[in-house]
Amino acid sequence: MRKRTIVKSIFLIVLLGYVLCPFRSFAQNNIDVRAQADTDRLRIGEQLKLELSATVDVNRLKEAGLQLAFPSLPDSFAHWEVVDRSKVDTSGSAREQLFRQVITLTSFDSGHWEIPSLKFELQAAAGAVDSAFTAPIGIDVDNVAVDTTKAFKPIKGVRTVAISLWESILDFLREYWPFIVTGLVLIGLIIGWFIYMRKRPAKAPAPPPVPLEAPFDKAVRQLKELAAEKVWQQGNVKEYYTRLTDVLRSYFEEQFGIAALEQTSAELLQNIKPVTILNQQREKLRNLLSLADLAKFAKLQPTPEEHEDSLQKALEIVEWTKPAAKPAETEQPAADSKS
Amino acid sequence: MENTSQDIRQLNEKIHQASAFVDLLNMELGKVIVGQRYMVERLLIGLLAQGHVLLEGVPGLAKTLSIKSLSSAINARFSRIQFTPDLLPADVIGTMIYNQQRNEFVVRRGPIFANFILADEINRAPAKVQSALLEAMQEKQVTIGDSTFKLEEPFLVLATQNPIEQEGTYTLPEAQVDRFMLKVVIGYPTKEEERHIIRQNLNPGGMAPINPVIQPSDIVEARKLVREVYMDEKIERYILDIVFATRHPEEYKLQKLKPLISYGGSPRASISLAWAAKSYAFMKRRGYVIPEDVRSICFDVMRHRVGLTYEAEAENVTSENILSEILNAVEVP
Repeated sequence: MRKRTIVKSIFLIVLLGYVLCPFRSFAQNNIDVRAQADTDRLRIGEQLKLELSATVDVNRLKEAGLQLAFPSLPDSFAHWEVVDRSKVDTSGSAREQLFRQVITLTSFDSGHWEIPSLKFELQAAAGAVDSAFTAPIGIDVDNVAVDTTKAFKPIKGVRTVAISLWESILDFLREYWPFIVTGLVLIGLIIGWFIYMRKRPAKAPAPPPVPLEAPFDKAVRQLKELAAEKVWQQGNVKEYYTRLTDVLRSYFEEQFGIAALEQTSAELLQNIKPVTILNQQREKLRNLLSLADLAKFAKLQPTPEEHEDSLQKALEIVEWTKPAAKPAETEQPAADSKS
Repeated sequence: MENTSQDIRQLNEKIHQASAFVDLLNMELGKVIVGQRYMVERLLIGLLAQGHVLLEGVPGLAKTLSIKSLSSAINARFSRIQFTPDLLPADVIGTMIYNQQRNEFVVRRGPIFANFILADEINRAPAKVQSALLEAMQEKQVTIGDSTFKLEEPFLVLATQNPIEQEGTYTLPEAQVDRFMLKVVIGYPTKEEERHIIRQNLNPGGMAPINPVIQPSDIVEARKLVREVYMDEKIERYILDIVFATRHPEEYKLQKLKPLISYGGSPRASISLAWAAKSYAFMKRRGYVIPEDVRSICFDVMRHRVGLTYEAEAENVTSENILSEILNAVEVP
């Protein structure tokens, strides 16, 4: 009785294992993985190509909801360095497909080294469910044979490579084309601007400047206007003397560059000293300014004769300091040639 | 009431006669003070315009001698107060002291009870003492205990500031400085003047005594006349233009001064400038003010009333530079 129970249990466990592990049989029957090196001997530092391939029944893979994962090699492992990894390439029919990846390896250690067996995995959404391994590959990494009996040789010089002129030009253009294009555009713009400047229509000539009234003419005109307006006759004595002195001060400012409008009478009399022609009229100006100051600031009412005399004095000062007229430039050479 | 031409002519004559004492004073002061005419003239302007004078200059420039001589020439009372850090307001204005015999507190008047006060090195005393003096200057009266005493007219304070030493001084605040009508900066005498000073001081007979040429009452009368000096509205506008140019230089085409001025002249500056111009006209024996009077006194009235910015100080621009620019830009009537 007991024996029957044990046999039954073993049978159930085997049955259960078979039911729960369907992928094992899948992997064993439907994936063929291989690793193949292009050489079994190389010199130190040389590279070898390791081709990893897996042949899979795609339909069955899809039905089981699985994906194939290639071995993940670190950059460096057991005396080997990974130089390059190609993408996984796919080929084959709709039913059976070949997945292929080439890994470039090198080694800097001499000896007999083994590329270990690499693991391909079948992965479901929950994680890896099965795996298949490649066979390990032994590779001999040889040192460079050095003849120690011979003397050391000097380092070889730089080897020149014959490049044609055309190739040089092409290299140059390839390297510097953005600068060349920018330069050409700028040169084009400058040439265009020059052409435009030369060909554009000439500006209309500026109108001749309006002749400004000379300070002398202006002063004489303003004094005559003051007389014509009969300001003091209307009782505006203060205004009369204010305008009279303002005309003179403006004239001094414009004609002799003396800031007379911002100077008091005493300062003005002091500052005309360096101007000889004006200084010759100093006494006349002093009398005029004194009377004007009294009229402006002390409500003095000068007599009509004094009003007239003040205007006359102002005119005399302006006339005395009138700038000498320049001789006409065209007449001078003619006169010289006659003599 | 508006002045007529006739009034001004009469006033002019009156002032011409009344101001004759100015020449007498100058002659009398000239007996002991060599040079320093500018300072003496400003002292008289302050005296006639009822304004106080702040003097700035190195020691030994006859500041004390000038005011003492002026006091003697006017036959007025003079007192000198040396301002020190330990000075108390009571040391200036006076205090109440206990009289054991009469068994009561009596008033002990301070040195401020005089016609002419020399407040020497005013910036050495603490603010409390300064303000006691400045209050007396403003109010022209002093309160001790419960009693208020009017200060005797004429009352002129001449305060000095030493521009060299600044350590341990209490700089007068702008509001206090504004109470001085004039701030006069005095310089060294010329070589020739200093030669006279040496001779005068080494004279075996000593210095000539100063005789009184006028009385304090004459000054009080003269002040009334100064008030009457005619100032035309053109001059008033000129004064206002100058003061306003310190406040709003950009309105007078002086934009470049704007960043250099922190504050311009107060209305008290306008009043002081008008007063001082009238006094100056009086001293020139005229009954009316002309622009020269304003310009002559402008620097002394305005230099302590124009505040400078840090920028101006960094560029070594002084208030005198600013005032020169303003006077050269504002049109004279």
